[in-house]
Formats: sequence, C-alpha cells, structure tokens
Amino acid sequence: MLVRLVDLFSFLSVVLRAGTLVFQSVLLGGVMFLLWTSRYSLAASKESIERVQASCWKLLRLSAVGLAIVQLLYLYVDSAVLMASADIPFGWVVGANFFISGSIVLVAALFTAIVASGNRKLASWVLPLLVVVIMAASVMTNHAASRMEGRPLLIMVSSIHELATGFWIGGLPFLVLALYRSKDLDTRWYITERFSRMALLSVGALALSGLVMSILYIGSWEGILGTAYGIMVLAKATMLGALLVLGGVNFLLLRNYPRNEVMPRLRRLIEAEVGIGITVILTAASLTSQPPAVDQVSDTVTMAQVWQRLKPQAPRLSYNFLPEVDAAGKPLPSPDPNAVNVDGVPLTPRFINNTIESESNHHWMGVVVLAMGLLALLARTGKVPWAEYWPLLLIFIAVFIVLFADTECWPVGWKSVGACFADPEVFQHRAAALVCVGFAVFELRVRKQKKENDPWAMVFPLMCALGGAVLLTHQHAISNVKENSLVELSHVPMGVLAVFAGWARWLELRLPKANRAIPSWIWPACFVLIGAGLLNYREM
Amino acid sequence: MFKIVSRYNTLFLTLLLAAGATQTCWAHAILMDSTPKINSTVRGPDLDITLRYNVRVDGSRSRVMLVAEDGTSTQLTLAKQAKPDILQMHASGLKAGAYKLQWNVLASDGHMSKGDVPFTVK
Repeated sequence: MLVRLVDLFSFLSVVLRAGTLVFQSVLLGGVMFLLWTSRYSLAASKESIERVQASCWKLLRLSAVGLAIVQLLYLYVDSAVLMASADIPFGWVVGANFFISGSIVLVAALFTAIVASGNRKLASWVLPLLVVVIMAASVMTNHAASRMEGRPLLIMVSSIHELATGFWIGGLPFLVLALYRSKDLDTRWYITERFSRMALLSVGALALSGLVMSILYIGSWEGILGTAYGIMVLAKATMLGALLVLGGVNFLLLRNYPRNEVMPRLRRLIEAEVGIGITVILTAASLTSQPPAVDQVSDTVTMAQVWQRLKPQAPRLSYNFLPEVDAAGKPLPSPDPNAVNVDGVPLTPRFINNTIESESNHHWMGVVVLAMGLLALLARTGKVPWAEYWPLLLIFIAVFIVLFADTECWPVGWKSVGACFADPEVFQHRAAALVCVGFAVFELRVRKQKKENDPWAMVFPLMCALGGAVLLTHQHAISNVKENSLVELSHVPMGVLAVFAGWARWLELRLPKANRAIPSWIWPACFVLIGAGLLNYREM
Repeated sequence: MFKIVSRYNTLFLTLLLAAGATQTCWAHAILMDSTPKINSTVRGPDLDITLRYNVRVDGSRSRVMLVAEDGTSTQLTLAKQAKPDILQMHASGLKAGAYKLQWNVLASDGHMSKGDVPFTVK
C-alpha cells in the first residue's frame, strides 16, 4: 500500500513540477510584458493600452495564484513522498532544500498576486524583485544546483535559460490576449513589434544557454541518441526549431507586409507558438527528472545498438507466442541463443512473449494510423470524398487499446477496474482510448458540417497536441536504463510529430482561408510518419 | 462555455497541457561508486561503507538499510557528510553471507532515488 502511494505521489509530483514550470514561465513573461512590452506610447492608443493592461494584470494574477496553488500541492506531495520513503517526520522535511525553495516560490507567488492587484507604480518596483526571488528559488532545485562540478557556471546559464523561456514563451499568452483586447491596428502593431524585438533577444539567449547546457550535461555525441536525456534534449531542440520557423515567419510578416494584411495571420501563428512553446516547457520539466547523459556513460546505448533497433524491418502482425514451460512446469530457455537484451543477457521466453505482444500491438496501431494519414492526404486532394470518413478508424484504435494494451486488466484480464486505474501506465492507456473516441466523434462531426469558426473543430488539434505532450513526457516502467533509452528513441519522435500535427491542424482551421495550404498538408503527413514509426517499433 | 474557452484559450491551453504532462521516472541521483563495490566480496565482521553519487545528496534526509540473507534489515547510522556527494557509514558484527545495502537518498534538487548494492562477506 505504502509503495503504491509513494508511486502515485511520485507521479503526481512530476505533473506538479511541470505545472510549476509552466505557471512560473507565464508569470515571468507577464511581468516583462506589463512592465516593458505594453508600456504607454504615442504610437498606440491610450485607451487600447489600458484595456490590454487591465486584462494582462488579470492574467498575471491568475498565473501567480496558479503558481502558488501548484507549489502548495507540490510541497505537500513531495513531503509525503519523502516522509514515506525515508521514514522521517514532517519536522525533518521542513529543512530540505526543495521545501525551502518551494516555500519561497509559494510566498513570492502570493505576493505577486497581491502586488498585481494594487498600486501599479509600486508593482513596477516590486515585481522585478519578486521575479528575481522566484528565479533564485527555482534554480535552487534544478540540475545546476545539485552538480558537484562547474556549479556557478551552470547556475548562471540555467538562470538565463529559464528567464529567456519566461520572457519569450511565457510572454506569448499575454501577446495573444493583447491582440484580442486591443481593437485598433496601431496598438496591435506597436505591441507586436516590441514583443518581437524582446523575443529576438530571448531566442538568442535561450539558444546559446541551451547549447552550453547541452554540451555540459550530455558531454558526447553518443549521449544525444544513446540516453533518454539526450533524446529529450533533441526533441526540445526540434520543437524550438519549429518555434523559430513560426517566429521567423512573424518577423518577416511584420517587416514586409502592410499592417492590415499581417495582423489576422499573425494572431493565429502566435496561438500555435503558445501551444508548441508550452510543450517545450513541459519537455523541459520532464528533463529535470532525468539524470544528465554525462552521468550515464556506462548506460549509454551505442550507435550500433540504436541502428539495430531502428533499422526498417517487416512489421509483426501475428501473435505467435513461445512455450514458456515444459510439460513438468519447468521454465524453458529461449529457443534462439541470439535473443539477448541490450546488455547481452539472454532473453527468457516470458520476456520474448511480452515483447511479441507489445510489438504486434504497436504494429497494428501503425497500420491504422498510416491508413488514417493516407486517407487524410487523399481527402485533402478533394478528389476522394469517402476518404473524409477517416476519423472512424480512431474508434478501432480505442477498442484495441482497451482490449490489448494491458491484457491483465479488465475487461479481458484478472485485475479489477480499481486496481487497473491505480496503475499510472494503465490509467494513461485508458485515457488515451477515451481520447481516441473523442477524436473520432468530434472530427467526423466537424468534417461533415464544414462550419467556419466551429469551436468543436478545435477538439481534434488540441487532443493531438495533448497526446503528443503526454507521449513526450510519459515513461514506461523499465528498470533497464539502456532499454528505457531505446524505447524513448521510438516514442519521442512520434510525440513531436503529434504536437506538430495538432498545431498544423489548428493553423489550418484558424488562419485566413488563403493561408491554409501549407498546414493542411503538414498534419496528414505527420500522421503518415507516426504510422510508419509505429510499424517499425521494436522492443528487442 | 465555448465563448469562455475561446476568450481565454491561451490560459485554457496552458492548463490542459500542464494537466496532460505526466512522467514517472524518478531515478535522479545515480550511484557512481561504492565501497563495497556492487557484487564484490569483502572481509567482515567490521565494514566501512561509502556511497558516492553523481549529485549532491541530503544525508540527513537519506536512509541506508543493510539487509542480510535471511531478510533481516538494520538501518545504518550515516556519518556527518565530508563531501556533499558522499554518504559514509559503518557496519559491525557482520557474519559470512550475502548482504544488500538498500539506499534511499534525497538529491538536493528534491528528487528521491533508490537502489541496491549487493555484496558478500567472507
């Protein structure tokens, strides 16, 4: 019972850590946006700026309260985990580094909410101080602070990285809100241009600090693909690359096109930037729970092992299991002496059977997702009307997940409903099945009705993006570090593609009709690639 | 409902994505070196034990248990930390047989990690 509680709380603790990073970034971005980006100017309407600021102060207060709530829960959950696993009373927990830093963030977030509700002049002096306090406390509990070597440099670089993330990605929700609230073109233009300048500086700082940290925490080329940490950094860099492309398009639009043409496109592109940006922050939160690659030299997967796992092979669509015991009930050895794991340890028939089941499940999913992608591409051509029904394939996936993803669980296995839902991995699989049904219903409805600005149409891209975020941060309970890295290597690219698919579809729906061509091809292509990735998924 | 969602869609997205982020990896402090070494054979009955990690660990909030072959376990008293990445302790009265050190440490970044060091006393 205690072990289960600790596991559940450890799982919650990571969710709360992700929430902390998101709210912290939005808070930092909000302070920068209010104190610099949206300042009064003759270039903008005073009335519009006042409207923008009033809404942004509200959002800042919300993010501060959100940070305080998440931090309070985080302190409670982490304290409970520590008390249970180290068998110590609450009094001892109070002096722990994470408790001190979490308490500082909690108090500073509450102060931010109070200050943001009062005198604006006072706020402009106090908020930067509170930002410094929150940053310092946050850095106290990241990788940099716990290192033995190069600590001052790492703390400095981490601080720059977190600040730049906050100012740019955390500021994006405020920019979207400002564009929504300001009704005149001059104010929108003024705010967007100022944000663009600040974002450019932040991107430079973010990329440079990210590069330094990658060199120091990964330490070798092998560590990039050979460890879970390196793979997550690569995913983060890929999504950052997509953000840079979107930011670059915004930058060029701002400088080369008339204001009235640019603004509708710009607003929609920024919405996609917000979504991908938050996923980058979530991936960063996931990274803080991984040991750096540089500490896993003996557990780094070799490039030969990576190729062996990733090289294209025919999919396994059958369930031909090996006998596990002989007539007397004694465990049998594997019939194939070459069947060894990544450490060269021979695989047991039980392990091989589990792997056959998992691989076949993934390959069947691959067939369905590939078919969905190809049908969506056909539908995009406008010449094959029946291909519009591709969302129905999602219901097949939902049924498949419930029946075959966890065969020990209800309704096919011996485990009760309650016991299954207490297992985080099973819970995530069942949630994914529900997501699939949601996908099918909403997307088919949207496709048949073809209404402009239909809010239900947003369900599919949001679910896609959410699914991608879950895949990027979800981990399988694999004790072998090398095997875990290899599983990550196959899951993470699919997560990134799902995020891209979701935001490409979002842009297809939200952009003015004349600008929808590129995103409308991107998301079906992402589905085809995800399907191909699933078809080549292997665990041995 | 949808009016509210679309008006605050950025905040909604933030919360949705934050709620969707899940991750269960919890192995953060890694044991880099130990005395006795993993699967080594040492002389008893007294034994000085050292565990070195990749990061700073909080000794006063960490726990190391010595588990004997018959399953009996004893919590070892940790010495004052000489270096932030090292835990030291002493075990006495060890009889010949297989043992396991079960460590459960708090890294200074707030992550709990656990692991085993199996060894034999001759």
